[in-house]
Amino acid sequence: MNLEKVVFGFFIVLAMTLNFGFFIGDMADPEFHHPYELFAAIVVNLIATVLKFGDRTQIGAIHLSTSLVADLQLITAAVVWAAVSGMGPEVPPSVMVSIVSLSGGAFLANVTSVVLLIIETIMLRR
Amino acid sequence: MNSILFLVLRRMRAPLITLIISYAIAVLGFTLMPGTDGAGKPWQMSLFEAFYVVSYTATTIGFGELPYTFSTAQRLWMTFSIYLTVIAWFYAIGKIIALIQDPALRQAMTTLRFSRAVHRLHEPFYIVCGYGETGSLLVGALDRKGIRTVVLDINPDRINELELQDYQADVPCLCADVRLPEILLQAGIQHPMCKGVAALTDDNHANLAVAVTVKLINPQLPVLCRAEDDTIAANMASFGTDHIINPYQLFGEHLAMEMHSLGTYLLHEWLTGVPGTSLPTPACPPQGKWVVCGYGRFGKSVVRNLQREHMQTVIIEADPELTGCTDCIVGSGAEAHTLLEAGIQKAVGIVAGTDNDINNLSIVMTALELNPKLFVVVRKNRRHNAPLFRQFNADITMQPSDIIAHECLAHFISPMLAQFLKLARGQDNAWANRLISRLVEVVGETVPETWDVTISGEQAAAVVNRLGHGRPLSLGSLLRDPANRLDSLPLVPLMLLRGSQPMLLPSPETLLHIEDRILFCGTREAKNTLPLLLRNRKVLDYVIDGIEVPDSLVWRWLSSQANRLVNKKPPG
Repeated sequence: MNLEKVVFGFFIVLAMTLNFGFFIGDMADPEFHHPYELFAAIVVNLIATVLKFGDRTQIGAIHLSTSLVADLQLITAAVVWAAVSGMGPEVPPSVMVSIVSLSGGAFLANVTSVVLLIIETIMLRR
Repeated sequence: MNSILFLVLRRMRAPLITLIISYAIAVLGFTLMPGTDGAGKPWQMSLFEAFYVVSYTATTIGFGELPYTFSTAQRLWMTFSIYLTVIAWFYAIGKIIALIQDPALRQAMTTLRFSRAVHRLHEPFYIVCGYGETGSLLVGALDRKGIRTVVLDINPDRINELELQDYQADVPCLCADVRLPEILLQAGIQHPMCKGVAALTDDNHANLAVAVTVKLINPQLPVLCRAEDDTIAANMASFGTDHIINPYQLFGEHLAMEMHSLGTYLLHEWLTGVPGTSLPTPACPPQGKWVVCGYGRFGKSVVRNLQREHMQTVIIEADPELTGCTDCIVGSGAEAHTLLEAGIQKAVGIVAGTDNDINNLSIVMTALELNPKLFVVVRKNRRHNAPLFRQFNADITMQPSDIIAHECLAHFISPMLAQFLKLARGQDNAWANRLISRLVEVVGETVPETWDVTISGEQAAAVVNRLGHGRPLSLGSLLRDPANRLDSLPLVPLMLLRGSQPMLLPSPETLLHIEDRILFCGTREAKNTLPLLLRNRKVLDYVIDGIEVPDSLVWRWLSSQANRLVNKKPPG
């Protein structure tokens, strides 16, 4: 067992699960989507991205790119939310839908990342 | 490029994660701290507001308490966040700065810059390994001739020296060990424009390594190697090194050449000199008895060549057993009695060839006191002793670096030049003298440019076109000045190579064939003008027939009509 691998796998899976937690629920209803969940998802995603830095292999490159995609989508969602919350106390449902669908895209990228992790592990056979 | 990026990213992992975590803690804390808004109602920061506050705090910008004055709980958290995030920032910044100064990274960047510079070269270039005395001479001379070079040296001081030099063209250089094949690959031994490699380091084994690497990776690439050791030279030869330069052997040969055929020697010096420098006045070694001090590699070569010229030689050697000298006078040569024993008073010349400069000078000083009419040949080993030798002003001063550089130049300027010089050595002295007087007449007393031209579509489109139309062309027409066809260009064709058949000093009546290669020697202006003649049909036609061919179709048609009218006109 390798501690580095444990940490690596932990953050990648955590990024996906947090992302999923934010994403799941009625898309238009802010009750189902707490900002803290998005915040946690962003932080864990960023850490996962940094952990993927510096791997020269092909699979490492794909790992990094999926993480970058997830970061981009989640940060965009956060920026949209921050911009809209300045306008009034309530977030309009149309905007909520776009925030949640952005996080849905990020979730897909995170799933890809986890699939890659599993493929890598299977290929290693150790 | 990739490797550097990955290196930076890998090293930045820890500081970046620290930064992200400290931000996350600070932001989260701010959203939880109870506060009041302007109207005194309970208020908590949103995540965005918290991120905003942490961003300007962590970077030590500090806008103050926004959007409302903080409560005590918020201020407590702020105090904590300042220490947390500012320290994380400083750690990250410190790490970045340390990374920039990291020797491994800097080396990677220099190497990258070097291999990019080499990759971008779009003209023929030579790789020079070793930028010592010889290397700097060679690079300087090639630069003066407008030939690009790439330099490798293991000594950073020499690379700095090169960077301070004022060369016409940029010389990509790298401080690296040439024994590593990767370095040679980066220097471009597989580059399509690389025309040759010169291994001139003072380490015979490094030179051998260069020869082996180049011959294994790119066997077609010519390699010139300096080798002062016979076993190393033999090893180099077994790997197909194109030319092995042994400065001591070469000097011996040159000395012999100066003795029996001064003209040939002069021709050699002249054609391989740096363009623009003036022609050195030759010394003519006298015939008779010679005293040779020092029987090392240099002394052996001199003695062998002197004996071939049927000179009587007397050897003075301090350590006969080490040098394998059977018939010699034991002594350093600096004492008067050994010189007298060697019969210095009846000798015509003395060769001071030990590997110690001060000894050499002392030998010739003593010898000159005993016999002031002596012809003096002295070996110079170290460059920093040059002022002493200049002051002393011997008849011939042997400098290994000069000899090697000349030899390399002969090969690099044009492979034809090396062949020409080899053939010239086979000619008699009168032939060489005639050629020299002709060169002096045409190009003056400074070292001329030497270059070769191939009659091909690329280099001589106009000539090929004319020959393709079945109109013969003699070499002489290429020697006329495009500005005025009655004048001739200041250049001399030295050799014409048809297939593998060389023709020394081809006459102007020689008819040119496609794929002929001609070696020219002339002034810089002639070198610049000749391509015009070779490539421009109009200029060529003017020079040969004295007719200005009209450029445009209309004028061509009009002039052909005019010609017809003139021809039709009845006589009278």
